[in-house]
Amino acid sequence: MKALKYLSLLAMLLITATSCMNEFDAPEFENPPYGNNEIGEANTTIAELKTKFSKSIEGNSCEEIKEEIVIEGVVVANDESGNVYKQFILNDSTGAIIIGVNDVGLYATMAIGQKVRIDCKGLHVGGYGKMAQIGGLYNGSIGRMNKSVFPKHVRIIGTPDRTQPEMTPEVIDESYFTDENMKSLAKFVRLENVKFVEATDSTVKWAPEELAYNNVVERNIKMGKKNIVFRMSTYADFANDALPMGELNINGVLTRYNNYWQFVLSSTNDIEQVENNN
Amino acid sequence: MSKLSKFALFLIALFACSNSLPILAQENNIAKADRDGMIKQQPARLLFADSLLTKEADAIDNVITLSDDNNESYTFSEGQLGEDEDFAGSTAMVSSNDDYFLSEVGYLFSPMRFRIRAYNAQYNNVYANGVLLNDVERGQFSYGMIGGLNEATRNKEGATNLEHNSFGFSTIGGANNINMRASQYAAGHKASLVGCNRNYLARAMYTYSTGLMQNGWAFTTSASYRWANEGVIEGTFYNSFAFYLAAEKKINDSHSISISAWGSPTERAQQGAATEEAYWLAGSHYYNPNWGYQNGEKRNARVVNSFEPSIILTWDYQINDKMKLTTSLFGKHSMYSTTALGWNGNAADPRPNYYQNLPSAAYDVWDLSYTPTEDEIADFMTRYDFWTSNKANRQLNWDYMYFANSQSNAAGGDCLYYVERRHNDKLTFNLGSTLNIDYNRHNKGTFGINLGTTKGMHYKTMADLMGAERYIDIDKFSVGDFGLNSSYIQNDVDNPNRQIKEGDIFGYNYDINVNKANLFYNHLYSKGIFNLYFGGNIEGTTMERYGKMRNGRAAEYSKGSSGIGKFLGGGGKVGIFLPINAYNTITIGGSIENRAPLAYNSFIAPRMRNDFVQGLTNENIYNAEVSYKLTAGPVMAKVTGYYTRFTDQVEQNAFYNDQQSQFTYLTMTGVNKRHCGIEAAVVYSITSSLSVNAVAAVGDAQYTNNANGFLISENEKVIMNDDVYLKGVKVDGTPLTALSLGVDYNIKGWYLSANVNYYDNIYIDASSYARLSSVVGKPVIDATTGEERLEIPDQYKGKGGFMVDASIGKSISLRGGKKLNINLSLNNLLNNQNMITGGYEQNRDDNKSDGSERIYKFSKNPYLYYANAFNAYLNVGFRF
Repeated sequence: MKALKYLSLLAMLLITATSCMNEFDAPEFENPPYGNNEIGEANTTIAELKTKFSKSIEGNSCEEIKEEIVIEGVVVANDESGNVYKQFILNDSTGAIIIGVNDVGLYATMAIGQKVRIDCKGLHVGGYGKMAQIGGLYNGSIGRMNKSVFPKHVRIIGTPDRTQPEMTPEVIDESYFTDENMKSLAKFVRLENVKFVEATDSTVKWAPEELAYNNVVERNIKMGKKNIVFRMSTYADFANDALPMGELNINGVLTRYNNYWQFVLSSTNDIEQVENNN
Repeated sequence: MSKLSKFALFLIALFACSNSLPILAQENNIAKADRDGMIKQQPARLLFADSLLTKEADAIDNVITLSDDNNESYTFSEGQLGEDEDFAGSTAMVSSNDDYFLSEVGYLFSPMRFRIRAYNAQYNNVYANGVLLNDVERGQFSYGMIGGLNEATRNKEGATNLEHNSFGFSTIGGANNINMRASQYAAGHKASLVGCNRNYLARAMYTYSTGLMQNGWAFTTSASYRWANEGVIEGTFYNSFAFYLAAEKKINDSHSISISAWGSPTERAQQGAATEEAYWLAGSHYYNPNWGYQNGEKRNARVVNSFEPSIILTWDYQINDKMKLTTSLFGKHSMYSTTALGWNGNAADPRPNYYQNLPSAAYDVWDLSYTPTEDEIADFMTRYDFWTSNKANRQLNWDYMYFANSQSNAAGGDCLYYVERRHNDKLTFNLGSTLNIDYNRHNKGTFGINLGTTKGMHYKTMADLMGAERYIDIDKFSVGDFGLNSSYIQNDVDNPNRQIKEGDIFGYNYDINVNKANLFYNHLYSKGIFNLYFGGNIEGTTMERYGKMRNGRAAEYSKGSSGIGKFLGGGGKVGIFLPINAYNTITIGGSIENRAPLAYNSFIAPRMRNDFVQGLTNENIYNAEVSYKLTAGPVMAKVTGYYTRFTDQVEQNAFYNDQQSQFTYLTMTGVNKRHCGIEAAVVYSITSSLSVNAVAAVGDAQYTNNANGFLISENEKVIMNDDVYLKGVKVDGTPLTALSLGVDYNIKGWYLSANVNYYDNIYIDASSYARLSSVVGKPVIDATTGEERLEIPDQYKGKGGFMVDASIGKSISLRGGKKLNINLSLNNLLNNQNMITGGYEQNRDDNKSDGSERIYKFSKNPYLYYANAFNAYLNVGFRF
């Protein structure tokens, strides 16, 4: 009977011991746990910034931003699908700009529709193929900023919201492709009723490895006499999906490489097939 | 009473000291001030290189102490009960009643994870009441199964490969038999308390036994609890309960029935290995990358949950004076899981020590002829400052991961970060029966049979979505290769694009079914002091993989049965004990075994496929040994030389191959190894209370040929045969040289002991990927000899060094037969923090897939584990 007493004691111990487990509550955030929540109101538009540093940008050089410049915009292109790599594009009512950060998975905090502020002081701005970019110094030219530098210069505002006005691209036609407009890139745009030159049949893929050079396959769209190059990465999630055929409406960011027009496609979600009633 | 209260005070003081030790142990071994000074004055690269050189010097100069856990030679050492199955091979132990070497090394060298003869733990058989307990998939006995049950597993017997035993069949690593019967414990109560600074900080244990009562019944129960809110390694915790319940009924002089059940539900967090660079940045060899802050609390991503409730039913039948039959039925439902962080889609690797985060990924710090640019030095320093400026920066950032998931929810995106739980569950039934016969005065024999069946269940579940609302069960690595609409990306084609909730099974799900039947016979002929032992066994094994998910990358051969693989093996052995005279004995023996491969190594890419390894065969083991034993007055000495050869072994590695961005399996067949060396032990009793002893294990264990490799990636983009240059690679994770010099002194109930131990030739797990013929490349012309040679990487070898242990104990007899035992062990007294116990080379390439060189050099950055710093273990036992 003595033994029984001890046994029952033991059984009770067992029940209590196995019931205590380590649980963690999901953290709740008053302020985002990433970025610098001290960054104040924007004092400069993206267009103003590009104008201010146009010399470096057009000269393919680079300079450190020494003034108190804060810009604010909404993320319109990022690395979620893997076609864009180590950068994202910020858009305000005046234009768009590329932000380069030496890190992958930026979309974790820079989701499409996310409003952010960038404190530019201490960062570098310059031109890569005359395309404006904010980032860090790399061998005397504009490159990506170090991943541990980025959170000191970014403030996340609210949650991603695709209904904001900055999320509406400007619909452009071939008249847009002027030298003057090229100087103000990048621009968040919508191309309507366009076709990929290469989309001749359903077996053509976006970016198969066998066609790639430096892991990039170029796809082209013609708008009038202008050719727009889509530089598609073999690392994109949709690289081996079929290149869409027929007439399309495409949202994305128009950029340049020197005097070539290029188009940054963030995701295939930004493409819609035009209903053909014929 | 005053004597007792003094002791109590003494103990409290010691306990307080021992709790402050973790802080001491983790102090920087690079003085912070020095470091700061160097940063300002020296180019970054020199800083890194200097510190590596300094460490190498330290490793030689430092002398350290180690200590064993307790003075009880018949209990499992703490190293084993610490459930070290996380490491490649846990300490294998054989006890032998009259072999000083074997009875000592198990715990003496356990801080360095010493394995006898560097054998894999699968060659050490552990029985309970005559039934084999070793896991059939990986071959090893899981010490976690009896974790915290030191007292309950105290009664055991052991035998080497060439010693006769009456309970089972011993392979080259020997065998132990734990007696789990209730009547084997002395009647009474035993309670003990432990305070230490190891994996756990405190342990309480209580054992009660009725002894064999007049009515023929015996009951024994034992329970323990081990606890640490934070163990000696930062960010780890330990929470383990253990129970043992046993009843035995002696029916009459011939029959006795016993039943014993035990288990040890445990939750504990793990330490992770890191590279020397990360240790340098963290200022400690005990940096643990597995944890990070969540809401300001430390959370570890790698948590082990294990519970292996076991039951054994034994019938002892004394047939007559000459014959005894022991039959046991054993059942176990093992539940073992480890958690791990997962990252989905194109989310960044969240591990703080991911190579891209390290300063040495800024430029090639290893090429001393290279002059870094200013930008590169600035990049290096930015990374360095990030690592060193704040502890949180070099740990996981849980808050960030939760935030990323919540933002993704708002953007309508998928889960980015999650915690998965990888399960390895087993349901086992084993039947063991042995018939012992004394034929006559000179001959006795043991017939035995062991039958076992095990269903191993392997799957993973979603442990924590970390606030994310959507996770879809696809293979993120295959998305880019096959397209989002391809069935190839589905982990479960029959349930495509399945949304996974917490608790759901995803990724993979399969069983490994193994059946074993083993017949053996042991025979001992003894006349006077001359002994001849021989034994043999036959073993049949069947194994099968049974897939429960149809994987998109292997749709035709992932679900259902793999078919059944059948293996027939067996072996024989003989040992001759030749007494030259009363003082000198020579033992000669040898064994041959043909043994089925482990199920763990027998299937290619078992998470998704039903295929057996090509060319799967039994392995062969040839072993020979000679011993000389001297017993002359105060001196007892034994020296053994051994030679073991393994042929046709099969091994498998699984790793992430970033050339292909794919999880990849490398299977090796036709692997040959050689283990040889000398073991020696001398005890010299100077007086009846003072003795000195020396123990030495000096051996070599290496691969003797190049293996046939078969490489397959999960998306099957890579399927190739290739040679693996393994010849000359050493067996890892144990010092191949271990020496000890010790002294024991006991007087008036006090016992003191001290040991100085030296370890050397410690290797880490060589990357078989880096030794693939296709990775090594074509031969190069040697600049000095002008001859062609292959550039096969050198295996990383740890520095040798000393460790010192001491222990002091006192046994106090109290009124009424009560007894108090106090023991304090101090390990690694000189606080040597530079001894590796093992580690692994990275299975990654210094070149990118396009052939260009990476900045970061995986080949120069192996992951290492270091032996514990100074630690203490205080045990107070009370018997009443």
